[in-house]
Amino acid sequence: MSIDDAKAGALLQTMIAAGDASQAARVTYLEQIEGGWSRHSYAARVDHGPGAGEKAYIVRARPRGSTLDTDLGAEFRTFELVADAPIPTPAVRGFEPSEDTPYDGPFFVMDRLDGHAVNVWRKRDRVALAEDWAGERGIAADLADHLAAIHRIDPAPAAGAIPVRDFQATVDHWQSVSHAARLVRDPVVEEAYTWVRSREPEPVAPCLVHGDYRIGNCLIDGGRVSGILDWELSFIGDPRFDLGYMALDYHAGKFTTPGSELLNATADRAWFHARYAEASGREVDPEVVRTFTALGALMLFAIMTTGLGVYARGETTDVRLAWGRFVLPGLRQDLAALMQW
Amino acid sequence: MFNALRSDELLVGVGRMLRLAADLQAAPEGFERSQLLSAFSVTRLLASEQRGAAVLLAATRADLDAALAGDDRPAATAARAEIAAAVDGIAIGDAVQDLLEALPADDPTRTAVHHALRRMVDAEVATLARSPEEPGA
Repeated sequence: MSIDDAKAGALLQTMIAAGDASQAARVTYLEQIEGGWSRHSYAARVDHGPGAGEKAYIVRARPRGSTLDTDLGAEFRTFELVADAPIPTPAVRGFEPSEDTPYDGPFFVMDRLDGHAVNVWRKRDRVALAEDWAGERGIAADLADHLAAIHRIDPAPAAGAIPVRDFQATVDHWQSVSHAARLVRDPVVEEAYTWVRSREPEPVAPCLVHGDYRIGNCLIDGGRVSGILDWELSFIGDPRFDLGYMALDYHAGKFTTPGSELLNATADRAWFHARYAEASGREVDPEVVRTFTALGALMLFAIMTTGLGVYARGETTDVRLAWGRFVLPGLRQDLAALMQW
Repeated sequence: MFNALRSDELLVGVGRMLRLAADLQAAPEGFERSQLLSAFSVTRLLASEQRGAAVLLAATRADLDAALAGDDRPAATAARAEIAAAVDGIAIGDAVQDLLEALPADDPTRTAVHHALRRMVDAEVATLARSPEEPGA
């Protein structure tokens, strides 16, 4: 496999500037890997020279044409914020904010953690998660406990770096994204926004919210969650957003056919909520979770719609964004069910 | 039904991926492979959608027409006419959205339209789930 010299050079320069590599370091492997919608990911190995050995990294880049124009710098700072929290996240090794890079946009470098990603739309992965649930429940327990730990992180240091949004601001944000990107009118989505607004829950103290919390954004190693990734949608707000979002049928592997009956293909719903409540000290109201599940579906809809717009305008040739068109019918179905139409 | 990208736009994207595959000098890397598999998935889903499109459109038109029958208010009669003349799901979406914006929140017609939309989304997902190679699909 040939290595792109420009990308390798930019990677090393960023690590050297951050003090995480020396001039003697050299890139021995660099390949764009599967996954990532609004981010592109590259697996890399860097030889740090005699005595220091070779280490694995991930380069996370924000390309020009993507599903969301989220701030990569904010995501980098979130990784820095959670580095000392009792949750498994990779250390970050330097951020290049320039738009003009060999990665077609800004990028940062982080350690590559052990473990593999789970794809809940793949049957064998759902079977593996169901086996964990039927057996040791290490993955299920970690998913609940780590979420509680995220919600215990003091969000104050992140204020100013990531968005602060209460319930109404979150609804406003995603509806404005949806309207800005939409190519056609969608009465199911519009009715869902009205329905969600009518169900504003009693507020709770704002927390650090992951914003895209699901087993698919975790790494699994030895029957445990070994990494929590993809913090680009994090914000300071209502922690119940994470509980609702991960409860989407889509995140249990539903596409055009049903997925797992387990929450996020990982755990029984009541068990998970009880475990989270015990670990976080927060009660879980299923009706509030239902509201946030609908809001999560609307967020996904807005993201997919943005991707369709980017593709339709010819700003990217990433065919996965066009494929996203076929996610939308299932999300409409989820919304109709949540609203009990 | 309320589809943003037309079939021809999707086909252009799939064709671009076929050209990419033809130009590959080695086995595809992870990202390239995911692009090709996404293009393959688009062809399957689009084929299923096309095979069921006419039936789904007719059923939705009929269902919404039944939901609006007996409502003589101008917004309802206008929507009914637009839905009857609709040539695709986008036109139906426009008509339904105009109607819902004109109705009070707790209006019985709104509830009837919701039920029709629920049946529509269920039928659309079921259409996409059918294999395009299924005989008589």
